[in-house]
Amino acid sequence: MTGVSLKDIKKSYGGLEVVHGVDIEIDKGEFVVFVGPSGCGKSTLLRMIAGLEEITGGDLKIHGQRVNDVDPSNRGVAMVFQTYALYPHMTVDQNMGFGLRMNGTPKAEVAKRVSEAAKILQIEELLDRKPKQLSGGQRQRVAIGRAIVRHPQVFLFDEPLSNLDAELRVATRLELAKLHQKLAGSTMIYVTHDQVEAMTLADKIVVLRKGRVEQIGEPMELYENPANLFVAGFIGSPKMNFLDLEGGEGLTFRFKDASTVALSGDAAAQTAVLGLRADQMTLSEPDEGHFAGTVSVVERLGDSEFVYVTTEWGQELVVRVPGGTNTQMGVLTGVVLSGRTHFFDGEGRSFPVFRSLWTKADINRG
Amino acid sequence: MPHDASVSIRPPVLSPRMRRVLISVVLAAVCAVWIYPLLWMVSASLKDNAAIFANEGLIPERPSFENYVRAWKEANIGSYFFNTVFVTVGSVILVTIASSMMGYVLGRRRFVGRGLIFALIAFTIFVPQGYTIIPVFDLLTRMGLGQSLWGVMLATCGGSFVIFVLLFAGYFSQIPNELEEAAKMDGVSFIKTFWFVMLPLARPIVVTVVVMQTLYAWNDFLLPLVVTLANPSIRTLSVGVYAFRGENFIDWGGMTAASTISILPVVILFLFLQRYFIDGLAGAVKG
Ligand SMILES: Nc1ncnc2c1ncn2[C@@H]1O[C@H](COP(=O)(O)OP(=O)(O)OP(=O)(O)O)[C@@H](O)[C@H]1O
Ligand SMILES: [Mg+2]
Repeated sequence: MTGVSLKDIKKSYGGLEVVHGVDIEIDKGEFVVFVGPSGCGKSTLLRMIAGLEEITGGDLKIHGQRVNDVDPSNRGVAMVFQTYALYPHMTVDQNMGFGLRMNGTPKAEVAKRVSEAAKILQIEELLDRKPKQLSGGQRQRVAIGRAIVRHPQVFLFDEPLSNLDAELRVATRLELAKLHQKLAGSTMIYVTHDQVEAMTLADKIVVLRKGRVEQIGEPMELYENPANLFVAGFIGSPKMNFLDLEGGEGLTFRFKDASTVALSGDAAAQTAVLGLRADQMTLSEPDEGHFAGTVSVVERLGDSEFVYVTTEWGQELVVRVPGGTNTQMGVLTGVVLSGRTHFFDGEGRSFPVFRSLWTKADINRG
Repeated sequence: MPHDASVSIRPPVLSPRMRRVLISVVLAAVCAVWIYPLLWMVSASLKDNAAIFANEGLIPERPSFENYVRAWKEANIGSYFFNTVFVTVGSVILVTIASSMMGYVLGRRRFVGRGLIFALIAFTIFVPQGYTIIPVFDLLTRMGLGQSLWGVMLATCGGSFVIFVLLFAGYFSQIPNELEEAAKMDGVSFIKTFWFVMLPLARPIVVTVVVMQTLYAWNDFLLPLVVTLANPSIRTLSVGVYAFRGENFIDWGGMTAASTISILPVVILFLFLQRYFIDGLAGAVKG
């Protein structure tokens, strides 16, 4: 069943269009993350769903009903703001119950719902405090609590973790995932520019760029089969390495130095860029790889090491090697392309059709 | 400065403690000059008319409350007191509500002509009160309020209304949008959001406005003098005090006693609210 459906949604500020016709289908109960770089229109999109921004064009449906012109409070959505937006002069209890009280919900019912939400979020002992007396993480919970008491069908989160420190962010991320399970059936739409949050939380990720949808899919789907260079570079950490190919004879391509690589398959001729994640390359002796480079930096993470290699044509690549390999900086090394390789054409699109072929692509040193 | 440059440490001319003492003495002297007229007034109110000009210093030799009794009874101060309370309380309520609502809309809503309204409002600050008294009186008369206490009260709302609106507008414009949006998501109406969220947040400004309007309404002289010329029964205290000035003889004792009575309430109010008041002004300035 469809929870939220966006059809050709557009948004203009004055004459300037910032969201250019977005189509997204969100199932009921799904956890969807909108992710993209700063200024791509994530917040704008979320605020249009919330009803805080007018929709310039297209249809927004919630549970099958067109709600373009429905008041925010009547859409069955609740929003958690990045800055929490708690009312500073009210206690936690009053903050959470404020909306209900203002709309004439009986006192007993308000109290019941507030204590219910407080229990879910484990903030029962904070109910009498003012927001000023709470830590960032606690404020965040209260803000979520204020959404929960309304029993919304759709939760909207705009970068709810970005004001927290790194450790708390990870902890709260986990809490959110649990919360989604506890509130089974409620749809959650979550905005972030952090692809790790997107990967870890989402049932479905929507990657946005400059007001357009680049790709929609499950986290691993986007990771394994990015539709284009942008998604490939955005999803996954460390970033995917891109190797530009220069046309050679037939299906033999040149890297930017003299090294060559031979590709096979139907669409091989259109290939312009190879994409390899850090764990899809290995290091070798300088003359045994597809090409050679110099180790510039090594980041030791314990279980693995990220080795940054500067190629002979001056590009920096990152290669993941097992922890304890103890690669030395400044040494010459060979780089072997191995494992899964992504192929992109001159426009930056990947080749979804020939994907299976390419995984077996035979890459030889020319 | 290079890192190895040596910094010579000069001992201060005065120790910090001496400096504090010196500053306190200077400030106390300034305060004394400042407060002298007030002390003179209180002192005079406790003397009889002959003693006032006998140059006997601020401490009365034979203090008496006779002036107060005379002021209260004969000069009608009792009923003027009521008039003043009516004008003050009424105008404070009206001014606070109206200026906060205007400031809210001007500070937070973008609408066509907003800049123009701001400019016009700001412009009126530069029009001296004296120039507008006659037109205001004329307006009251046309509205049939020229001879009533309600008229005095309404006219008194004018005072610093514009400044209050600007104070509120400045304060409200800094409250983050999300608060309003959160209320909107909760389905809280515009008016309720204003009343239950925004106005409580603006408490420092509310207190400032209440105190300043109270002072203004309580002490205003020129406007009530003109409006009540023809009708002594609706005089306020400040005008009533002026009536001690007879044709040939000024009853200084009665006048100072009446003055002391009239400023007592505002002094008490200030003592109670000064913390909020100063917070509010500081908040409005530092933004
Ligand atoms: N009120 C406005 N008037 C004009 N342009 C706006 C307005 N609000 C947003 N924009 C523009 O719309 C685009 C999308 O903004 P939006 O806030 O949705 O970005 P975002 O993806 O949420 O970015 P961030 O990650 O920085 O929050 C931006 O280019 C921004 O400049
Ligand atoms: Mg944003």
